[in-house]
Amino acid sequence: MDFGYIAQQLANGLILGSMYALVAIGFSMIYGIVRLINFAHGDIVMIGAFTTLVLMETAGLPFPLVAFFVLLTGCGMGILIERISFRPMRGAPQVTGFIASLGISIMLQNLGILTLSAQPRNFSFPSYMQRILNLGPVSFRVVDVVIILTAFFLMVALIFLVQKTKLGIAMRATAENIDVARLMGIDINKTIMATFAIGSGLAAIAGLMWGGKFGQIDPLMGYVPGLKSFVAAVIGGVGSIPGAILGAFILGLSEVLFVGLLPPIYSSYRDAFVFGVLIIILIAMPNGLLGKDIGDKA
Amino acid sequence: MKKCFITIGLFFMSLPLATPCFSAEPIKIGALYSLTGGMSSIDTPSLRGAELAVKIINKNGGLLDGRMIELISVDAKTDQKAAAIGAKKLLSNGVIAGIGHSDPSFVLPSAPLFQKKGIPFVTSGATLPTLPMMIGDCLFMVPFGDDDQSFAIADYSFKSLGVKNVAIWTDNSMDFTKTLSKFYKQRMTELGAKIVLEDFFMMGDKDFSAQIARLKNVSPQPDAVFISSIPNEAGLTTKQLRENGLTLPIVSGDGFDTELIVTVPGKELANDVYFSTHTYRADPRPEVIQFIADYEKEYGVPPENAFAPLGYDAIALIADAITRAGSATPKALKESLAKTMGFKAVTGEISYTRPSRVPVKGVSIISVKKGEYNVEEIWFPTTK
Repeated sequence: MDFGYIAQQLANGLILGSMYALVAIGFSMIYGIVRLINFAHGDIVMIGAFTTLVLMETAGLPFPLVAFFVLLTGCGMGILIERISFRPMRGAPQVTGFIASLGISIMLQNLGILTLSAQPRNFSFPSYMQRILNLGPVSFRVVDVVIILTAFFLMVALIFLVQKTKLGIAMRATAENIDVARLMGIDINKTIMATFAIGSGLAAIAGLMWGGKFGQIDPLMGYVPGLKSFVAAVIGGVGSIPGAILGAFILGLSEVLFVGLLPPIYSSYRDAFVFGVLIIILIAMPNGLLGKDIGDKA
Repeated sequence: MKKCFITIGLFFMSLPLATPCFSAEPIKIGALYSLTGGMSSIDTPSLRGAELAVKIINKNGGLLDGRMIELISVDAKTDQKAAAIGAKKLLSNGVIAGIGHSDPSFVLPSAPLFQKKGIPFVTSGATLPTLPMMIGDCLFMVPFGDDDQSFAIADYSFKSLGVKNVAIWTDNSMDFTKTLSKFYKQRMTELGAKIVLEDFFMMGDKDFSAQIARLKNVSPQPDAVFISSIPNEAGLTTKQLRENGLTLPIVSGDGFDTELIVTVPGKELANDVYFSTHTYRADPRPEVIQFIADYEKEYGVPPENAFAPLGYDAIALIADAITRAGSATPKALKESLAKTMGFKAVTGEISYTRPSRVPVKGVSIISVKKGEYNVEEIWFPTTK
């Protein structure tokens, strides 16, 4: 086990981590503001991937335009889901929203199977995205760099949005105390809708990236990324956007190193290990690495 | 309104005219496939193949002087409990035979219930060679056993590809993939090849970068990698191996019998892949050509994978046995199925002559070079 091998595995871990980060940012943002663990988040990833497929293969639009429309579709889905299922149960205990999101997730998955068929489909990115780059002993692809850059760009943009803009202030106020925020004249419905729109738009972009990275999509593709981004968000501290990114990188790295450094026979315990880590983190530091103790308002 | 009554009236009046064709009681056959969940990409084509067979038989006047086949389908939901409940549901519906499942994990909870009632169950896709022995004389297999397909690809990789050192990747989540690797390893070791690396993953894994880095780092370098997976991971592993600059031959079993190994990596990268599968893909036999044409006409797409013709064959096999028996009782059907000799199925000839009652069928070795599928050879088991 030489230096080159470890360096390659570290790079693999970082790339995988950035994939999780893409999904985890939106997830963490929605939780931070609405206090809703949104399990349908992963399925918006799936919708984003299929929208990309339709726009790119069928309509043949240029890539930047595709990315823009995918973002719009994600926002639209977020608004729709919020309007139909979460707004009517506002003020209900936290667990109600949690279960509703599980229901939406299962519904979206099975709708996908029925309308799109369960057959996995191929998904091809422009070939310049697939080029291999070599940096010493480490090799990676252009798409990997794009994913890492997108994740960081989105994180910075989101932090700016939440900290500096009026909408961001409204979001933070809503997160702090929904009733007081309403008394202060903040339009709660609009703020929460915007939160869902942004969070789901990010998930759809993540879907585009996942499809491009692995080249294969299916209606159940969002389930595992959804769960893993949840774990990443918990590690980093649910609700904290930098925390979600940090958690995602820790998760990606530990997952790859778990497979790469232990004897091969343990490779298939990868997911067991991930969720084992989740339990340990929940016991040792319930607020995650960067999370604040906000108390349970349910 | 008046017109409406007339139409309805005419409809009911015409019923007695139509009934003579349907007068005989239908022959009920149950189908147990996982139409939702992880197995659905494999099981749905099987059911579509079976439905196509039923449709064609009924269009040609049914069986035994005009008795129609009625296929009753229950979703096994990729869940063992649902498979067992589905079996009970079908049995209470009075089916004379059951078909279904592409993995032994779902045959094991459902087929014994058929066995208990003495009703034959034909599995269209489960390839575990010990199934007939485990369940009893009511279980019949359409496909070959995993031992045959593993031995076929092992012989091919050793003799034709000259593989002396081999790496084995196994999907550790399924009986099918584990059995496949076990038999491959057994044959390769017998032939004198060396296993230099064994690595594992789970169904649903998307990222194989850690396993690939390990494969690159193993010494001596393998001459080929055997990947035991189902279609979901076949394209992903091929793509990622090739993208990381590994050009060694990839060998596998019927889990690789999917378009995904070409479409996911792209034609350029889909190179030097070899797999053993049911004699059907790129095969010029008239049964195969007829089946593909019928399937495309019915569903508008070519058969998704080899599980579509396997589902078709399951119904055709039962229909053939009913015709030979001249009766549609479960007992006569069971005896007649056991006597099947040289039945020309789409996926190859089926004969139940072995004591293990696994059909003696040819195994195709398919090569994929720059995205083109070719039949390299047809391998036949040495019957014991």
